[in-house]
Amino acid sequence: MDIILGIKVQDGTIIATSKAATRGISVLKDSDDKTRVLNPHNLVAYTGESGDTVQFAEYVQANVQLYTMRENDIELSPKATASFVRNQLATSIRSRKPYQVNVLIAGYDTKTDTPTLNWIDYLGTQVELPYGAHGYAGFYATSLLDKHYRKDMKVEQGLELLQLCLKELETRMPIDFKGVYIKVVDKDGIKALN
Amino acid sequence: MSRRYDSRTTIFSPEGRLYQVEYAQEAISMAGTAIGILSTEGVVLACEKKVTSKLLDNDGSAEKLYVISDNMICAVAGMTADASILVNNARVNAQSYLKTYNEEIPCEILIKRVCDVKQGYTQHGGLRPFGVSFLYAGYDDRYEFQLFTSNPSGNYSGWKATSIGANNSAAQTLLKKDYKDELTLKEACELAIKVLSKTMDSSNLNSDKLEFATLSLSKTTPGKVIHKIWGESDIDALIKESGVLDEKSQDDD
Amino acid sequence: MNTIANKFTHANSSSVLNEINAVQSEFASGHQLELAPSIQVPPISQPTDFLRAHTDDASNPDCKIKIAHGTTTLAFRFKEGIVVAVDSRATAGNWIASQTVNKVIRINPFLLGTMAGGAADCQYWETWLGTQCRLHELREKERISVAAASKILGNLVYEYKGMGLSMGTMVCGYTKKEGPTIYYVDSDGTRLKGDIFCVGSGQTFAYGVLDSEYKWDLTVEEALYLGKRSILAATHRDAYSGGSINLYHVTETGWVYHGNHNVGDIFWDIKEKEQSFNNVDG
Repeated sequence: MDIILGIKVQDGTIIATSKAATRGISVLKDSDDKTRVLNPHNLVAYTGESGDTVQFAEYVQANVQLYTMRENDIELSPKATASFVRNQLATSIRSRKPYQVNVLIAGYDTKTDTPTLNWIDYLGTQVELPYGAHGYAGFYATSLLDKHYRKDMKVEQGLELLQLCLKELETRMPIDFKGVYIKVVDKDGIKALN
Repeated sequence: MSRRYDSRTTIFSPEGRLYQVEYAQEAISMAGTAIGILSTEGVVLACEKKVTSKLLDNDGSAEKLYVISDNMICAVAGMTADASILVNNARVNAQSYLKTYNEEIPCEILIKRVCDVKQGYTQHGGLRPFGVSFLYAGYDDRYEFQLFTSNPSGNYSGWKATSIGANNSAAQTLLKKDYKDELTLKEACELAIKVLSKTMDSSNLNSDKLEFATLSLSKTTPGKVIHKIWGESDIDALIKESGVLDEKSQDDD
Repeated sequence: MNTIANKFTHANSSSVLNEINAVQSEFASGHQLELAPSIQVPPISQPTDFLRAHTDDASNPDCKIKIAHGTTTLAFRFKEGIVVAVDSRATAGNWIASQTVNKVIRINPFLLGTMAGGAADCQYWETWLGTQCRLHELREKERISVAAASKILGNLVYEYKGMGLSMGTMVCGYTKKEGPTIYYVDSDGTRLKGDIFCVGSGQTFAYGVLDSEYKWDLTVEEALYLGKRSILAATHRDAYSGGSINLYHVTETGWVYHGNHNVGDIFWDIKEKEQSFNNVDG
């Protein structure tokens, strides 16, 4: 029942992830951050099997940071990062114990000044999208995004649209997801809102 | 004195030298010259072809120039057999990077990987170092056009214009004299011919004794790298245009 | 060859024991000194299925192995440190195996680990964690942080994910750098930092009392009572929790044990004092 949502706008990409960490019928934590910073312009948000999610995100984080160190502080581009993650999941799905993790990668390509949003699932499916979600959130939010999303939106309007989605999720989701953390990736890097 | 330290790549001599590595470099300085020049519009690689026999039946394709990936080519000086192992390794590495990142491998990363292999052979016991130096010409969106060399020790370095193989110091002196930052690709090609004509011993330069390759950007598709390994007729035309033959004949007079 | 042939012979295919024997002999014959690190794996092809078939009494009431499961454990952070409270009942199926189990593992004088799920798994791996923490101390000349200690345990159980480990634990400690810190670590690899955790079959009952009366500014006495009271609530409603309550207070100078309180005794005292538990006569 975790919520992860991503919206790409003209000058950045917005990511929202629910704060609840639930096990069985108990909410164990209401301040769980389901994202990891890969490098200054790439953020991964994850959902899936507990345990796998954090292990996988931190594995990817370690590899992307290793790349930066080896290559004299040159950052892996969003496209390369997404391809790398896809490749890891595609290899994993054919292994004895696959990672059951779905991710969104918010990135900002500083070379071409373009924001990106990559949607990747545990099977290794990768698509670049204007907006996307994993899990139940998508069932409520995508129709709203289909209706209101415009290509020329800026971060501010993107955040308004996100609030619209969150309002719907709060009224219709059967369990309390304890609100969301909102993060924006743009030319200046990653910043957390709220 | 040094005899005891000659046969092992992995052992330092008392003077702190690795003789096998030095010998490998020595062998290369007798191989056919290869020169590379960076220009504003691309990179040129040119090699001297040592003709072994008139009876040799080859298809006219280049022997010392290799395509590594869509954005990189290289020239070889030294043992061709050793080179083909490393070139294969480089090609596999380039494809593997492309597979994981869906982007062309940046030049320096590839060169570093090939050099890691070369270095390994100077250290791990019982193996002979690779008897090859490379000239790499490449393009990537980090540093655009690039020219690198690497040698048997596993060291590599970037250049505006350089040369490996026989007479490389003479060639480098000539390059230092005539190289200019604002060279066009055509001017770079002519400079390459000019330098080779002076460092090679043979009197009349022709396509039998030369291999030529250029790397440039497509004029129609932005960001697309074009590499061309030249045919005989193109080389002959360039030699004619460059006017080195006229100079030669004047020298003879 | 015989072992492989046996595996595919119809006469043997029904028996799980045969499978174990076959794989074990394969292991024995292939045994050699290996330099590469490896982890020990149960000698069966599908550890998860095997374990479920033989230990899960929910899906198979006739299963032969009953794992000690029912428990209530809790830990919470407050101004003066951490309170850790646990019950002491061990059940195997419907059989109360023991009323005097120690469900707090004293990893070292500064770290406590709680035990829920498989008793053996918790006991073994938390003692092992103690050795890792000591090694860290010897190597780094500094006490390990709670974050690092819990991550060692978290990564370890993750390696064994899907192979039948059953643990729900809280690693509690106090370091200069972190202050009072609790990490929840369980056998599916989850590791969470938090202020309040209740773990085990009685967790919901404990959460109920704890959440409603918890404040950051609790005094030590109030906090210890709240911990005790929350476990009592759970032992009252959860049949698999009971026996007695073990209480701990974790401070900057290490943990302090605050005794064993028999549920049968304190229940009546508390009922009398609080005028609570009015569903019970007497």
